[in-house]
Amino acid sequence: MGDQELEFAERWRDNAYGCFSSGHKFCREVCPVMQVTRNENHTPTAFHASIVAMEKGLLNVEDVADDFVHCTQCGACELRCPNTLMTGDFYRHRTRTVDVVKAMRALMVETGNEQEAWKLWNERLALDHNEPVLGDTRVSQEHVADWAIGLDIPVGGQTLLFVDCEAAFFRTSYTRAFAQLLQKAGVEFGLMREQWCCGGPAAEMGYQDLALKHATHNVEDWRAVGATRIIAPDPHDFIAFTEDYPKYFGEAYDFEIVLGVELINDLVKGGRIELTQPVERTVTYHDPCRLNKRKGVHEAPRELIRAIPGITFKDVDRVTQWSYCSGGGGGLPVAKPEITKEISRRRVAKAAELEVDTLISACPWSERPLSEAGHEANLGVMDLFELVAVSAGIEP
Amino acid sequence: MTIFRLGEQTPPPPRRITDTVVERLEHQYEVDPDLMQITPQQDMPVWDSRRIFNARWDHLDWMHAHFADEVLLAGEESETMEEHP
Amino acid sequence: MSPVAFKSAVDDHVVEELRAIIGDDARVRPDQSSRAFRSRVPAPFPVHRWAEHYPDVVILPKTAIEVSEVVKLANRHKIPIVPRAGGTGLSDGAVPLRGGIMIDCKLMNQIHEIDLVDRTVTVGPGINMLKLNEELKQHGVIYPDDPASYPCSLVGGRIGTGGWSLLGARYGHTRDLVISMEVVLPTGEIVEIAEGGGRKLRKSSTGLTLKQLFTGHQGTLGITTQATLELVPRPEVEFAAFFAFDEYIKAWETTGILTKSGLATIAGVVLFDEKKIEYLRRDDEAYIPQPDTVNAVVAVAMYGRRCEVEPASKEIMRLGKSNTGKYLGDEISAGDWASRHDRYATPLHGRDLDGQAVLMSWHCEDAALNYSVLPQVREEWHAIVARYRERYGIFDDWGMFAYTSGAHKPWADYLVEIDVGIWEQKLNDEYWAAWVDCKREIAQVSLKYGGSITACHGATREGDADLVPEEMGSAWPVVKAIKRALDPNNVMNPGKQSLDEAYE
Repeated sequence: MGDQELEFAERWRDNAYGCFSSGHKFCREVCPVMQVTRNENHTPTAFHASIVAMEKGLLNVEDVADDFVHCTQCGACELRCPNTLMTGDFYRHRTRTVDVVKAMRALMVETGNEQEAWKLWNERLALDHNEPVLGDTRVSQEHVADWAIGLDIPVGGQTLLFVDCEAAFFRTSYTRAFAQLLQKAGVEFGLMREQWCCGGPAAEMGYQDLALKHATHNVEDWRAVGATRIIAPDPHDFIAFTEDYPKYFGEAYDFEIVLGVELINDLVKGGRIELTQPVERTVTYHDPCRLNKRKGVHEAPRELIRAIPGITFKDVDRVTQWSYCSGGGGGLPVAKPEITKEISRRRVAKAAELEVDTLISACPWSERPLSEAGHEANLGVMDLFELVAVSAGIEP
Repeated sequence: MTIFRLGEQTPPPPRRITDTVVERLEHQYEVDPDLMQITPQQDMPVWDSRRIFNARWDHLDWMHAHFADEVLLAGEESETMEEHP
Repeated sequence: MSPVAFKSAVDDHVVEELRAIIGDDARVRPDQSSRAFRSRVPAPFPVHRWAEHYPDVVILPKTAIEVSEVVKLANRHKIPIVPRAGGTGLSDGAVPLRGGIMIDCKLMNQIHEIDLVDRTVTVGPGINMLKLNEELKQHGVIYPDDPASYPCSLVGGRIGTGGWSLLGARYGHTRDLVISMEVVLPTGEIVEIAEGGGRKLRKSSTGLTLKQLFTGHQGTLGITTQATLELVPRPEVEFAAFFAFDEYIKAWETTGILTKSGLATIAGVVLFDEKKIEYLRRDDEAYIPQPDTVNAVVAVAMYGRRCEVEPASKEIMRLGKSNTGKYLGDEISAGDWASRHDRYATPLHGRDLDGQAVLMSWHCEDAALNYSVLPQVREEWHAIVARYRERYGIFDDWGMFAYTSGAHKPWADYLVEIDVGIWEQKLNDEYWAAWVDCKREIAQVSLKYGGSITACHGATREGDADLVPEEMGSAWPVVKAIKRALDPNNVMNPGKQSLDEAYE
């Protein structure tokens, strides 16, 4: 057992014991990966047990490295855990499975037990400063704002729009719709001078130094243009900016972070965006994990959908959706694409049971796997902003 | 719309409820921090406390709906809390 | 890789044979982490001796035939078999005592058939009840097996442990809700087990009623690979009411009044004793603000059609208050009842001798007892735990519940539990031995008062297991004969329930 492993076990032992000494396993049936593999090694309970086992000298990193790849960091487990849900706020001591997974993956990197697919992914991130979301086609700063061509968005200003890598290079229709909605409402905003990846996915895969490097660049870029408010339409960025960045920068981190879906909902409710075009679709809504489970955001997207004229909305409540996921997060599609595919297939099948024609999401990372599954099941997958933009009469 | 500002994520000072319980956020009890010397408390931002609290009540509502179509209530006030309003 | 040796006759050759049977190496797992993660359940665990409870190899079967072939192999090599479903039991049914082959049935979680005409659902043992009911909801039916582990325990484990359900007074417990099963016997044969013949029949008197034998055996008589379960009309309404008392005895009397009321929609009555209320005041938002006069609570819940439950609820309110009971209010009645469907303890309930919050594991010692003896047993149990807490400082008394336990007959039988916190991180051989003694003393009180040492968790670990022959009494030779006849090589979950005596 190496020093790094012992130090790691020491750091996370108490939280792990909270899980280990209970052993309830309320996490198991809400875990999207576990629902597919049914392998107890992949339960969050096992993740915590492995820390106790490390402390006892029974397991080492190598023994559990593959287990810890099996996680989308959706947060269902730690929310559903009674140690969080029933008493986490009372004791200010909740189960922290997502943090544990990130920390173990970092230890995997440090000890040479990293995943080959993640290693390659992050090497390309280090090279290009955005994630290689286009596969063999390289991404670059030169094209990071191509999605905005013709929209005449300035660079800099007090309020910045941060665009996620997936949304900047792949799901560009999402980003364009969002920016056009802001413009329609008369919101003044600009883009970064040089927008690097938020660093969140690198941190999720265990590449902490790389994550910090990207975060540092972004914060410096924000400060350089005098920005005080950052709009984050992508839930993954919102998590990075409200959870990772405060840890990196401490009290000096004084930016206001605004979540895109809540902003648009406010603009619609306040009459600054009028939804006049009927959308004759029968839809259901996919609660993105990083909104619903990780942040408790579930009302704004539903209010927005209900504000669209002509739409038939067959909702599935947020608690049922704690056990839903697209499989698109936490690096899972990079390392275990077959599991992501099956998670998405099941999510789309749930939607199809409702006899809807469209599944709406509000997270670009979910929309790639869901769209692929939707294509096979003949079910449309749209982003909420894209739909709202249609109803607002915006031409793409 | 909620705007995240790091400076607003520290909860206000506690108000004592019982010998072992305090309250920082409205309707949300917390253990007296003096009892957490062996098991250290976490740095839990306000948004996270609220998230857990709201999720708990959503979960309990969900459990009712899971087992029956409707919850029937006696429709009577508490007879114990009247004594200690 | 970390070294932990095999404990049984499992060796590389056996692992190769297992791979040949399963045909998928990902489902044959002799690796360290697979073994480590499947060696405990929520019951207190001697974490200082963790590796002693490792299985030697874990199998994740998909079919009864795979299970059957693995069991046959185990017989050929005299290797222990330990079946595991959810691993959420409160005794140690799914914990290996001698290594061996663990058969983890979570992949067998299919719904094979929903029969809305003859009202059955046929499932694999790896399915969870909450997940099953999410699927059944659209059909207007429910499978009402509702333990405190409802969102995480699996049907196979429920059958193995002979589980108890919170709604049992109305709908019955696991054994009442299982209609028939496909079982792999300890020698590997696949058999249909029911009341008589007929996979979907609730009652027969053709031959021996084997079904009861195969529920609650803790994995010592075989492995359920498929189960046909009861479908009940989904309740239209739920009604719950909680009443407070200034002393336990009045709450106990009121429990008797309610359970003997003859109201058929009563699903369960729960009696909280004074220690339990004291404990709930530590961290439960419903009980923290209650005045000092609240010292015991009776909770009652009803399920059914509105036309039945609504008038009956008025009578419940009258009876609940008839012996000084005070209604706790709608919010607690509804909210606290909802939380009973997944009421596992959380570790920070624990307090050391100085009152500091520490992470304690939860032991739920459950006995089956008659109504008449509850007050005496309560006093003796608390006295035992207080003595051990005082002496060792790593135990904590979390109070007692008594739940109605007779299926459809709530008046006389109770599942009585004393919840004990144990500071596992402090465990050593001395403390563990003390804990086993404590358990044994608690169980002996149950026997003294004509009770059974467990209503639903099982008597599978030292402390409880030692007393099984005494409790079974004159029937013990019959039990041993059955075990020996069905499991000639003692491969099926050996070391549990003192069944080794069958081979002496």
